[in-house]
Amino acid sequence: MAEMVSNRPAGLFRRGSNPEKRKKRSEALTAYLFLLPYLFIFLTFTVFSIGYAFYLSFTRYNLLRPPEWWGLEGYRRVLCLEALMPRAEDAPPLTCDDLFIKKALPNTVKYTLIVVPTQTVLSLILAFAMDQKLRFRRLFRTIYYLPSVTSSVVISLIFVWLFSPLGIVNQIFNLNINWLNDPRYAFYTIMILNVFTTSGTLMLIFLAGLQDIPTAIYEAASIDGANKFQVLRYITIPMLRPVVFFVVTVGLIGCFQVFDQIYVMTSGGPLDSTTTVAYLIYKWAFRDTTVKMGQAAALSFILALIILVFTLIQRRIIEGSGSVGSA
Amino acid sequence: MKTLLKWFVPLMVLSLLLAACQPAATPTPEKVIETVTVEKEKEVVKTVEVEKPAERAVVRLSGWAASPEETALLQSILLDFTVENPDIVVKYEPITGDYWQQLKTSIASGVEPDVFYMDIFQFPAFVRDEVLLPIDDLMAKEGVKRDDFIPSLIDAFSEGGVTYGIPKDFNTLGLFYNKDLFAQAGIAEPTDDWTWDDLKAAAEALSDPANNIYGLGVPADPGRFPIFVFQNGGSIMTDDYSDTLLDSPAAIEAATFYTDFRKNQSGAIPADVGEGWQGTVFGKGQFAMVYEGGWLIPYLKQQFPNINYGVVTPPAGPKGEGNLIFTVAYVISRNSKNPEAAMRVINYLTGEKAQTKVLESGFALPTRLSLQNSEYLKTNPASSAIFRGALQGARPFVWGLVGSDVNEQMGKALERIYLENQPVDAALKQAAQVIRQKIAEVK
Repeated sequence: MAEMVSNRPAGLFRRGSNPEKRKKRSEALTAYLFLLPYLFIFLTFTVFSIGYAFYLSFTRYNLLRPPEWWGLEGYRRVLCLEALMPRAEDAPPLTCDDLFIKKALPNTVKYTLIVVPTQTVLSLILAFAMDQKLRFRRLFRTIYYLPSVTSSVVISLIFVWLFSPLGIVNQIFNLNINWLNDPRYAFYTIMILNVFTTSGTLMLIFLAGLQDIPTAIYEAASIDGANKFQVLRYITIPMLRPVVFFVVTVGLIGCFQVFDQIYVMTSGGPLDSTTTVAYLIYKWAFRDTTVKMGQAAALSFILALIILVFTLIQRRIIEGSGSVGSA
Repeated sequence: MKTLLKWFVPLMVLSLLLAACQPAATPTPEKVIETVTVEKEKEVVKTVEVEKPAERAVVRLSGWAASPEETALLQSILLDFTVENPDIVVKYEPITGDYWQQLKTSIASGVEPDVFYMDIFQFPAFVRDEVLLPIDDLMAKEGVKRDDFIPSLIDAFSEGGVTYGIPKDFNTLGLFYNKDLFAQAGIAEPTDDWTWDDLKAAAEALSDPANNIYGLGVPADPGRFPIFVFQNGGSIMTDDYSDTLLDSPAAIEAATFYTDFRKNQSGAIPADVGEGWQGTVFGKGQFAMVYEGGWLIPYLKQQFPNINYGVVTPPAGPKGEGNLIFTVAYVISRNSKNPEAAMRVINYLTGEKAQTKVLESGFALPTRLSLQNSEYLKTNPASSAIFRGALQGARPFVWGLVGSDVNEQMGKALERIYLENQPVDAALKQAAQVIRQKIAEVK
């Protein structure tokens, strides 16, 4: 090898003595070139926007006047924390917006705790059913998936009609409930809607996960004399663990950010019973006559942090045993 | 059969071709007019361009696009303006979607239009943050007089003796009543001289809860309830908006009167009958009376053409008349490079000629005093009642910098009374407390 290299005209490989390396570098260059359009969009609309929002979260900004530095005051107002703001003894009493602590956060957590398990279990059951050799299996799959490809605004409007006082739901069950205008029921109606729309997609993901489990394992189990329940408990569900992690994570993030259905159906009402964190961000940033952009940006970062913490916690729970670490 | 087909197919194709050609061959008269004006415009613009190209001022104009018809009407008025003022180019940039969100972000990035719509509700924040240009000098130069406009409207867009906007149109609330339901109940129809007692007695007589018919619509709507406070001698905010008066005895009394309609089943909220807006309920004949603005007139015409209704000004309360004015003005941005040209555009758009055109189309009521005796108002009693409202104790729909919070709290207080049976005084006190906190927040 060494001889061959020395035989080559001098100077040709002066820079990169190793042709492998050189090839790699030019490949990388090509790759970056291909990435460039996306990278540009990513840097401007994601990285820069997040960075600027982070800056705004420390300012007081109403869009009409340039932002003025405000330190942690925005965070303090969102969280209603005295500790975040050093102040003089004789300063006037602090004001804070307790909508996040009292309404939006409890609502969002409640929403997530109800919707995520429900949609996960429901879609898992649907996936099992669709995995059997049923008649019209494809038709059912399409039907279950249909809500997922429909615009959420359209579905929300359909639900508004279905759940109106004189709507079909009340008539079928012979009820007289004002679903969307009663603070006791409005939020559950939106939960039902969300489970209905997302279950189809999640079912599809579970289905793919089920079909990914090697048949050899099932065969081995049946040779060992495992019954159907044991197969489910000791083979199918453990093998699905990475998929479950994915489904729960996606569901969790989606639930914490729930916005469009609420925007269309209730605008956070009645009496804040459906105000979620994401809707509150929108309300502060755009709905109020005096825009609170800084405060809204601060809440966005608090929300991001909450989602991160919850994701880490559930990762611990789902992957607790550490037997499946691929996700 | 075959021969028939043989002839039939080419004939069909031929007839299709002919049909397709027809509009082009004989253009409708409308189209001819259009091409003529466009040509005229082009021609004029061209000659000006050659003679004095430096003096053509560009004025960007933005507003929300309420409906295609309204946009078309504005465009046709702007076309007339361009023909008469060849040295000004108006660029009309309507905003669809969320107007305030887009306008505020365009101001934040310094690319706002020269002239834009300003709702009275949003006005205080824009004045406080010095977005709007004071226009008194420009008005004098252009010969626009404050006295030509309905005082309550032009005053609404002024602060500290400085004028910031020329009102373009307005609405007030009127009492819409269903004539058939009144006839069925055998009671006399409302008049402009009605009082709260008449309203209450009629609502009770008209109600038939078993059949889902209620006398009066009393929604938890901050755009309706305040008129009762005004009629009771109260107010929502102090004159300088530094405090709320929502927990004053006058307001609590008014809220009690207002919410008692639903308590006694002589009134209801739209949700009680499965609707979101009482205009629809009124159209369906389930509410015999509703307080609504002029926007209900075209809606009823389109959706419920058979309803037999009338409109009077809101009944007076113990302390006299009271009404709300919803109004929009044209304002000029402080960053405008051509404020004089902008003022001329505004003057044209709010001029007698343009406003007559708008009035006759039925979209909005004119803000010029001189138009109060116009033919249109004489022949349209419903619109006339809405117009008269502005001259009878009406106050603009504006609550200062925290307007959205005041609205929200007012709505919530009514919702708590309706849905959670909270006592009226407790509900209003709670609302007032939150509003005071919000006022402290924006300071």
